[in-house]
Amino acid sequence: MLVTIYRVIKFAWQGFWRNFWLSLVTISIIALASLTVNALLALNVVADSAVTSLEQKIDVSIYFDPDVATPKVKEVQDYLSKLSQVSAITLVTADDAMKEFRQRHARDAAILETLEELGDNPLGATLVVTAQRPSDYPEIIQVLNHSPYRDLVSDENYKDHQRTINEIRLIADRINQAGIAISALFILIATLIVFNTIRVAIYTHRDEIGIMKLVGASNAFITAPFVLEGVLYALCATGLAVAVTFPLLNAVQPYLQDFFTGVPLDLAGYFRENFIAIFGSQLLGMSALNMLGSVFAVRRYLKV
Amino acid sequence: MIIFRNVSKIYFPERTVALANVSFEVLAGEFISIVGKSGTGKTTLVKILTAEERASEGQVVVGGWDITHIRSREVPYLRRQIGVVFQDFKLLQKKTVLENVAFAMQVIGARPSRIRKIVPEVLKIVGLADKHDRFPRHLSGGEQQRVAIARALAHGPKILVADEPTGNLDTATSQEIIELLQKINQIGTTVLFVSHDQGLVNQIRRRVLVLDQGTLTSDEAVGRYRLS
Repeated sequence: MLVTIYRVIKFAWQGFWRNFWLSLVTISIIALASLTVNALLALNVVADSAVTSLEQKIDVSIYFDPDVATPKVKEVQDYLSKLSQVSAITLVTADDAMKEFRQRHARDAAILETLEELGDNPLGATLVVTAQRPSDYPEIIQVLNHSPYRDLVSDENYKDHQRTINEIRLIADRINQAGIAISALFILIATLIVFNTIRVAIYTHRDEIGIMKLVGASNAFITAPFVLEGVLYALCATGLAVAVTFPLLNAVQPYLQDFFTGVPLDLAGYFRENFIAIFGSQLLGMSALNMLGSVFAVRRYLKV
Repeated sequence: MIIFRNVSKIYFPERTVALANVSFEVLAGEFISIVGKSGTGKTTLVKILTAEERASEGQVVVGGWDITHIRSREVPYLRRQIGVVFQDFKLLQKKTVLENVAFAMQVIGARPSRIRKIVPEVLKIVGLADKHDRFPRHLSGGEQQRVAIARALAHGPKILVADEPTGNLDTATSQEIIELLQKINQIGTTVLFVSHDQGLVNQIRRRVLVLDQGTLTSDEAVGRYRLS
């Protein structure tokens, strides 16, 4: 048994080195497939980060009637801050709102004159609410509308933001869907290329397989070195993909950072954190693909 | 050793009859020539014997083992009992003479110590002991066929099937191969020599089976191959 295992490993190793250029081509194609999947993954990470960053900048303002006292507004603030959907909530008092309004219109004499004529502060307090996720805003507004504080609220600008939020969410979903579709398409193309490359690699061994059959080698013994060679291809290709992916990510990082100013992006960090999940699954997938391809390709020559 | 009982082989969908109701028996240690023109079923007979093809009808027994309906996973065990050589040698060009012969033993799980013992012995039998480190491309056609014979003998088969082994060789070299096959037969191996070379077959003066259009037309203990 040990002799057989040793020979299977030896034949796989010989097959790998004696057809060095073919092995190199096979590894390169598998590595390219892996790199393309990584590129699409990086694109998704960038898109997700950009969308998340945009989403975090969204907030909803709840305006109160001018006659609602600050302690009452604070009560509403406490009530809303207990909701799990709420990430942050800031109180802008009527005085603060007026101060800000005056600053904003400092050069508009007509407005300032009107304010003087009015005498009292016509502005009410405002609560600026930031939700955990954009999809949480409707719920927060609904809770407020069903609360005893409903009549204190004069207006909220959720409806104005709703369209923006929906559009961002739609763009994010589309980017994800496109990423998945492109990845699936490329994986399919890569699968066909890898299958074909392995078929060519095994075609060069057809005489050897024929002789093995002729002298009474079992099908399992004939197939095993090719299966092992397939795993070896996947191992080398994944190694090559790792060696190329990180320098590439580090190279594009400054350009992406410039392009998406204010968006926290660390692609290399993301790939490092998810190293096992990303490259491990690629190694497993490629190995399984190569093994399957080898079994199918060899089977054709085992019929004699 | 070998029994063919009313064996027929029909290839579908054209319904080409390659062998029709062929019956014969080969005893252990015999040297038999199977002759006939091209397309008379000689190669089909060899393929049925090595389980590369299955008989459409009849029964085939090799060494007491009924291989008529042999399962795919049993074929390797049958082939370890039968050595086969072909007209085109079927050698691995990237392996030396010694590696070609050793390879046949390695792939059936022979122990390294046994390989080290047997390979030089069979190379000595075929007269290539001094050329063990040569590659096939550095050998003549006759020498390449000797390597193929050495490889066929490496796992100690009881039967050696030589399918047109002299087809690519000149007369003098063919003569040497026949002498080698006779020598192997004298050691105790049953030899089936498949050929269409009338001169070679007739000089052997051993049993001859003649096939004509898939039918066995003659089976003589000391036969001759007469062209019709």
